[in-house]
Amino acid sequence: MTAPLYLAPRLEHRLTSLLGTKGFLHQLAGALGSPLNVVLPDQIADNLRRFQEVYERRNLSGKVYFAHKANRSSALVRRLADTCAHIDIASLGELRHALGSGFSPDRIMATGPKSPEFLWLAARTGVTVNLDSADELETLVAIVTKHQLPPARVLVRLSEFDSTGATVLSRRSRFGTPVDAFSRLLDALERHRDTVRLTGIAHHLDTIGLTEKATALESCIALMHECAARGLSPHVIDIGGGFGVNYLADSAQWETFTSELSNAVLGSRPPLTWRNHGYGLRNEGGTLRGALGLYPAHRPLAGPRYLDELLGLQAPSLSRPLATLLLENLHELYIEPGRALVDQCGVVLARVLEVRDNAGGECFVRLEMNASDVSLEEHGVLMDPVLVPRPDRTCPSTGPVGVYLIGNLCLEADFITRRMVFLPHRPSPGDLLTFPNTAGYFMDFSADHALHQPIARKVAAYQDGGRWRWCLDENYWPITSGSEDC
Amino acid sequence: MRYDSITEVIGNTPLVRIAPQVHGLRHIDLYAKLEMLNPFGSVKDRAAWNMARPHLAADEGQRTVVELSSGNTAKALAVIAGMHGLPFKSVTNRMKVPEIKDLLLLLGAEIEELPGQAECLDPTNTEDPLTQIHQMLSADGPAYVHTDQYYNPLNVEAHRTSTGPEIITDLGAAPDFFIAAVGTAGSSTGSAQALRAHDPNVRVIGLVAHKSDFIPGIRNIDEVHEVGLFDPATYDTIESVSADEAIDGTLTLVRRCGMLAGPTGGAAYFGAVKHLQTIDEQLTDRRTAVFIVCDRVESYMSYIRKRRPELLRRPPRTNSVATLTQAELAAAPTIDVISARTWMAECRPLVVDLRGAMAFGALHIPGSVNIVDEIFAELLHGGLPFGRSQPVLLTCPVGEQSARYAALLTRMGHTDVRSLTGGIIAWRDAGAPLGRD
Repeated sequence: MTAPLYLAPRLEHRLTSLLGTKGFLHQLAGALGSPLNVVLPDQIADNLRRFQEVYERRNLSGKVYFAHKANRSSALVRRLADTCAHIDIASLGELRHALGSGFSPDRIMATGPKSPEFLWLAARTGVTVNLDSADELETLVAIVTKHQLPPARVLVRLSEFDSTGATVLSRRSRFGTPVDAFSRLLDALERHRDTVRLTGIAHHLDTIGLTEKATALESCIALMHECAARGLSPHVIDIGGGFGVNYLADSAQWETFTSELSNAVLGSRPPLTWRNHGYGLRNEGGTLRGALGLYPAHRPLAGPRYLDELLGLQAPSLSRPLATLLLENLHELYIEPGRALVDQCGVVLARVLEVRDNAGGECFVRLEMNASDVSLEEHGVLMDPVLVPRPDRTCPSTGPVGVYLIGNLCLEADFITRRMVFLPHRPSPGDLLTFPNTAGYFMDFSADHALHQPIARKVAAYQDGGRWRWCLDENYWPITSGSEDC
Repeated sequence: MRYDSITEVIGNTPLVRIAPQVHGLRHIDLYAKLEMLNPFGSVKDRAAWNMARPHLAADEGQRTVVELSSGNTAKALAVIAGMHGLPFKSVTNRMKVPEIKDLLLLLGAEIEELPGQAECLDPTNTEDPLTQIHQMLSADGPAYVHTDQYYNPLNVEAHRTSTGPEIITDLGAAPDFFIAAVGTAGSSTGSAQALRAHDPNVRVIGLVAHKSDFIPGIRNIDEVHEVGLFDPATYDTIESVSADEAIDGTLTLVRRCGMLAGPTGGAAYFGAVKHLQTIDEQLTDRRTAVFIVCDRVESYMSYIRKRRPELLRRPPRTNSVATLTQAELAAAPTIDVISARTWMAECRPLVVDLRGAMAFGALHIPGSVNIVDEIFAELLHGGLPFGRSQPVLLTCPVGEQSARYAALLTRMGHTDVRSLTGGIIAWRDAGAPLGRD
């Protein structure tokens, strides 16, 4: 075997503590089955605080909206309802969930593609509607008029911003109204002044590029003046989310892995992946082509720090820091973090069913879960699971072992990850593999009942007087304490 | 010397010896090939001219010259295209050096910056933007001339037929060691081919950047694999250099050798000396080594300022808010909104709004004047812009910055300045009047 190439997850104190309670985790999985999702509601409140600190440091006013789509958990949403956070919902179901979890309508914003029913419930309850297009505006106006609802508060989502100087290209988005159609949208908003009230303008760019985001934010500041000149008085700029998460503890591990992956694709070292899959890289006559289709898993500038960096950038043409421009123009800043707010908020547990060596010397570890139960691979995030052996088992001194993690579907492609995963020692049936920091998009976004396999139950875990306790996710409320002993 | 065209000035750059007391090597004569003295400022002039020339000679009509470059190749191509009346477009995944971006715009180039990586992985996006653009441009069409520096053999040829032979002519032989930073691999590959044809024993050292570092013009160990011209067999050794070491090398060249080299040349010097040191200790006879100074330092001031600000140390500015003590800040004279309104009615102080012009234009205290913070700082640098006893009310968004300037004015001897507590936001929240022009 080659030297182990670890990609150790970055673990803060709460996850570290949870993963240290071997007996607790085995009892949970024993009682509730594998796979099992565990969320940590108290962590999301800590994460919110870190975003708020960025606002405070820069004297900005505004609101932090949790992008609900990152996780369906009730515990996380209810815990957040008990803070001063707001919530961004993107479906009728999410809206009902947010309302039922304690978010009052003035703390909710509806985004994304919307059905008429979704628009009606939003307008009826008075949540802010983040409008995707001029057509959606007309649908909303028709609903408000027909049902004699109070004027709806709306933001308009814009896209395709122009840059000055060098052209800054951005991937085209399926969402939002192009900036060059903004003027016509304003005509409509003026026309419908009695039924909708423009409170702000919004955008969300799916990129980690700060330059693109700075260009878009500066454009929005200029467009606010255009609104004011029309006698509309929006006061909010919503810059969406996409602040990212730093998944890995060690930059050197990430750099070594990506270098070695290139070498494996070029054939200058043994494969690191099943059938030498290149994650988008390929070998064309000795030259590396294609793109590494992976999330930049070691990403020190992520979450609140990324927001702070963006706000500190000089606006490309106004040549003042973006935070200063927001502040001195008296604009409120809305953000919609999803993944970054549930950083360190959960873990997926899976039981080891079988450990098998094939004739070629490869080791397969079959888990009682499948790739859709922890969709790290689908989202391009490479991060090691943590092995939690059965409490009654003494760990063998076999040393590190490289294994392929395979799932419970009768399907060739059901690899939890195509990467060879290095574990500190050989696992045994009955051990748990825990996939930490998976609350953002990897836990319940893609899981389904293929082959009648069970999907994971979800529990909320919290510390009470130094001890870990748990309850079913749907039974968690912010007043929950000491519900079930472990 | 007389020439008919600036392009004739490309090449024939001097080879200058580095004084032994600077590099400390006892048995090796180290020479710098001063490619920065090419007319457009870098080693890339040779490749750019060689790659573009065939398209300029033929009558191919109006076509846009396109290159994936964020630096010297773009600069040289912009000049050459401009001279021949052709538009030039530089496509880049990130312009990391702002001075070059401005220079390219000045030269009339169009710049397109490619989007950053998606935050959410899109599994349908299987191709990197660079490759996509590459394919788009390579498809036969009348609109573009794609010089394709990372794959174009004319890039290598430029150095095989000029840079390499010039070194042999100047030294009367091939050097024992040739050290070059690897960017497109054109200069190292081409020169190495010429030197080895003359003497197969030449040792070629390729330098790449540390993986987590950025050195302009140099690729890191992974990125070199994406270069079509890169062939590992060209190099006897590949070693890496950090950004810090590149700047150290630059410092030696600019301060001690009179060579105003940029960080790429600095990296080559640093990498050369580091590699040769251990060899030098074993030697008893004399050897020669050549490294390439790719371009000049002036375009990289922001790069150096960001990484090594202490190198650009200036004497502290007088009358600067940065020099205020905690005690001075704590003692800054302030006034709340209600008292300020009374004071304004009675004493009619000069109300100075320190916010940006756009913000001021949108909403401001009636009768106030707008002196943007940066300009106010410049004014104070020269002295008090109003009388010592002239009542002045300073405002900013939340009263933080105005308090700093109130403290500074007090230190400068002003006797009647106040900062509006809570700033324009407190003023607005108190329902005090705000006007718009």
